[in-house]
Amino acid sequence: MVKLKEKKFSLDKLIGMGRGRETVAIYSLLIALIIVSSIISPDFRTSRNGVNILRQAVLLGIVSIGQTLVILTGGLDLSVGSIISLSACLTSGIMLGRAELILPVVLLVLMVGTVIGMGNGLIVTRLKVPPFIATLGMMSIVQGSLLLYTKRAIGWVPTTFLFFADGQIGPVPFPVLFYVLLFLTFFVFLKKTTFGRYIYATGGGEEIARLSGIQTRFVVFITYALSGFLAALSGLFLASRLAMGDPLGGQGYELNSIATVLVGGTSLAGGRGGLMGTLAGVLIMTVVGNILNLMGVPGFWQWIVKGLIIIGAVSVYRRID
Amino acid sequence: MGRKIDNIILEMKHISKSFPGVQALQNVSFQCKKGEVKALVGENGAGKSTLMKILAGVYQPDEGEIILRREKVQFDNPHDAQKSGISIIYQEGSLLPYLGVAENMFLGREPRKRLGFIDSSKLYREAQKLLNKLKIEIDLTAPVYNLSLAQQRMIEIAKALSLNAELIIMDEPSAALTTEESDRLFQIIHSLKDHGVTVIYISHRMQEIFHIADAVTVLKDGKVVSTSSVEEINEEILIRQMVGRDMEGRFPSKSEVEKRKGLSVVGLCCQEVLHDINLEVRKGEIVGLAGLVGSGRTELAKAIFGVRCLDKGAIHLNGRKIKVKSPRDAINNGIGLVTEDRKKEGLVLGLSVKKNITLPSLGRLSKMGLVSEKGEKRRVKKIIQELDIRTPSMDRQVEYLSGGNQQKVSLAKWLVIESNVIIFDEPTRGIDVGAKFEIYSLMLDLARRGKAILMISSELPEILGMSDRILVMREGKIVGELLPEDATEEKIMSLATGLIKNS
Repeated sequence: MVKLKEKKFSLDKLIGMGRGRETVAIYSLLIALIIVSSIISPDFRTSRNGVNILRQAVLLGIVSIGQTLVILTGGLDLSVGSIISLSACLTSGIMLGRAELILPVVLLVLMVGTVIGMGNGLIVTRLKVPPFIATLGMMSIVQGSLLLYTKRAIGWVPTTFLFFADGQIGPVPFPVLFYVLLFLTFFVFLKKTTFGRYIYATGGGEEIARLSGIQTRFVVFITYALSGFLAALSGLFLASRLAMGDPLGGQGYELNSIATVLVGGTSLAGGRGGLMGTLAGVLIMTVVGNILNLMGVPGFWQWIVKGLIIIGAVSVYRRID
Repeated sequence: MGRKIDNIILEMKHISKSFPGVQALQNVSFQCKKGEVKALVGENGAGKSTLMKILAGVYQPDEGEIILRREKVQFDNPHDAQKSGISIIYQEGSLLPYLGVAENMFLGREPRKRLGFIDSSKLYREAQKLLNKLKIEIDLTAPVYNLSLAQQRMIEIAKALSLNAELIIMDEPSAALTTEESDRLFQIIHSLKDHGVTVIYISHRMQEIFHIADAVTVLKDGKVVSTSSVEEINEEILIRQMVGRDMEGRFPSKSEVEKRKGLSVVGLCCQEVLHDINLEVRKGEIVGLAGLVGSGRTELAKAIFGVRCLDKGAIHLNGRKIKVKSPRDAINNGIGLVTEDRKKEGLVLGLSVKKNITLPSLGRLSKMGLVSEKGEKRRVKKIIQELDIRTPSMDRQVEYLSGGNQQKVSLAKWLVIESNVIIFDEPTRGIDVGAKFEIYSLMLDLARRGKAILMISSELPEILGMSDRILVMREGKIVGELLPEDATEEKIMSLATGLIKNS
C-alpha cells in the first residue's frame, strides 16, 4: 500500500538538509573557478600554490564552522572578528616567546573565547536580545577591551608554536591536516548526533522544536559558545601565522565568515544548509583572493569580486528555491 | 435567451494547467452568474486553488480562455485581474498587522493632497463609507493585529469592494472562525449579493455551503465532477462526488473497551485564562473539548503540555501526580500534543518526514548522542506504514506533503515515542474529507489500544461523532459535560455561548 522508495544514493542525504541543488551549484562554481584560474595563470596551477591556497583557507575555515552552527539556529555572530583579535593578542602577549607557556595559554585563550560566546548565548536566550544586536554589542565590548589592553601589535610566540600555522607533516601542511580533522568532527557532530539534529530543528522552527521536547535555549546557547571557542582557535592560528598579536588582526572576519556561510548555501533564516556548502564557500573566497593576487590585481578589486559572488550566489539560491 | 446569457458574468472555458509532474487542471469549465454565491469544493489537491489563482492572474493557463462580461480577457498578473474587478481573499489573510484599518484598506491607493501628502480625512471618510455599506462596526484607527480574525476578513472584503470588485474569491474564509463569527461573515456575503457582487466560495465545511451558496461546483483530480444548484443535492451526494466513493457514514464506528484511569487534572488555574479546571480522560476514551475560540481550550491543552505555567492545580497520570514544567516534562511522562497550527507549532517544514517524526524521540533512538540511523529508519518505516502516510520517501521534506499527510506526520511523532495521552487540537483543520476519515479511524484505533485522547474541536459534528464524553468550555471554565447520546449541536452551542448555565 505504501510506496517507500529508499534511494540508495541521494545528494540531499550526502550533503544535507534539503540543500542538494544549492551545493551542486556552489561546487560547480568552485570547479569552474579553479579551471578558469588554471588556464589564465600558470602560477596558479602549481602544486605549491595549491598547498598555499589550502593553508590560506584554514583561518576563514575555522571561524566559518562556528558561524555555520549559529546561522543554522537562525542566529548570527558578529563578535567573532573581535574574539580572533583578542585571542591572538592574548596568545602572543602572554607567551612572550616562552615555550613552557604554550599549553596553559592555549587553554586560557580557548576558555576566554568560549566564555565570550557563552555570554552571547545568554544575552540571546535569556535577555531575548536579537542575535544581530547582542553580538554587535559584544563585538564592541571585546574590541574596546582589547584596545585598552594594547593599541599596537604585541608580544611574540615561541618557535614551537609556529608549527600550528607553518608546520609540515610529510608533504602535508599541519594546518591543513588539522583543519580536515576539525571539519570532519563538526561534520559528524552536525549530521550524526542528536544535538546536530536539534540545531536544524531549532533553526527550522524554534517553537515546534520546543513543543517536541527540545531545550531550544540550551541548543542556541551551545552554538554561540562553540562559535566563541572556534573564533578563539582561529585567533591562536593567527598568532601562530604572524608570530605576534595584532589588535585589529581579526577585523573583517565577522562579515567574511557570514558571507562565506551564505555563499555556501546556508539560509540566514536558519534550519537549512550545512558545513559541506560552507567548505565550498571558504575555498571559493580563498581561490578568488589567490588568483587576483597572482594576476597582480589590486586588493580592492577582491572586495568587489567577492561582493558580486555573495550577491550572485544568494540570488541563484533564491531562484532554485 | 439573451437575458440568461447577460446574467453570466464569468466563464472559464476548457482551462488546462500543468506543473512539472502534475496535471493540475484538465479541461475545466466554470461559470458564475452575477450576484450569486458559487461554492467550489473538492479534496485538497483537487485543483481549486490553481483554478482560482488562474482567475486572479497569479498563474496563466496552458490552454483555455477566460471570458469576463462577454469579453475575452487575459490576466498576466494579479494587478490585471484586480483592474478587471476580480479580488481574491486568501486563507492566510494579507493585511499588514501594524497599520490601521483604514490605511490597510487603501494601501497603495491612499487619497493624496498636493505634494504627495496623504489626505487623512478623505481616507477615513472613504473607509467609513465602505464599512457602513457592509454594516461593519470597527474602529478605523485600530491597528489590525488588535482585531479578531473575523474582523480582519471583513476588512479584506471591504477592501475588495473599494477596488470595485464585482467578483470576490474567498479561500476558506471561515477556517479559523467561530460559529458566531462565521454567521457574521455570512451576513456580509449576503449583503455583497444584494450589491450584485459575485462570490466564489472555497470551503471544506459542508453545512456552510448549503447555508450560503446558490450553486456548487465539485472538482476532483483537476476535473469538474459536477455543477449543481444547492436545491438539487445534499451533503451525502456532495461528499460522494468529492471523494469518488461512498463513505459509510463520516465517522468510523466505535468499540467498547474497559476504561481505566488515565489523565486527570485537578483544580488547574492559569493566570487570567483558566479557572479551576477539573477533568479526566480515561485510557481508551476520547474526550471532546468544545467551546468557542478564545474559551481557553488551546490554553488548557498547552497548560497540560507544560507550555504555560500552572498557578494552581495538579496533573495526575495513572493515579500518580506528575510535575509538568516544560513540554519536555510532559513528553517524558508520555503526553503528546498534536498542535492546531501545523506550520508554526507542529512540523519543521524544511526537515524530512523522518526527522520530523523522530524529533521528540531522538534521544531514545541514540546512544551517547549519536543517532542510531538503522533503528531510526526502522521505526519511521514502520510508523509510515501503520499510518499510511503517503510520501515518496521518508527523506522527503514535509512541506511537500498534503495537509492530511502532514497531520499524520504530526501524530506519528507521538506514536514513535509511545505517548499514552494524546491531545489533539483541531485534528482535522484544513484537511480534506477523505483524510479526515482516516484521521478519525486512527484516533479510534489509538483509543482501542488504550491511549487516553483529549480532542479539541470547533467542528461540532466532529465533537458529536467522535467523543465518548463531551466537555464544553466557556471563558476559561468547564461549563458542562454531556454524553454524545444526549448532546446536540444546539445544546453544546448554548453551553458554549452561555445561554444555559449548566447541564
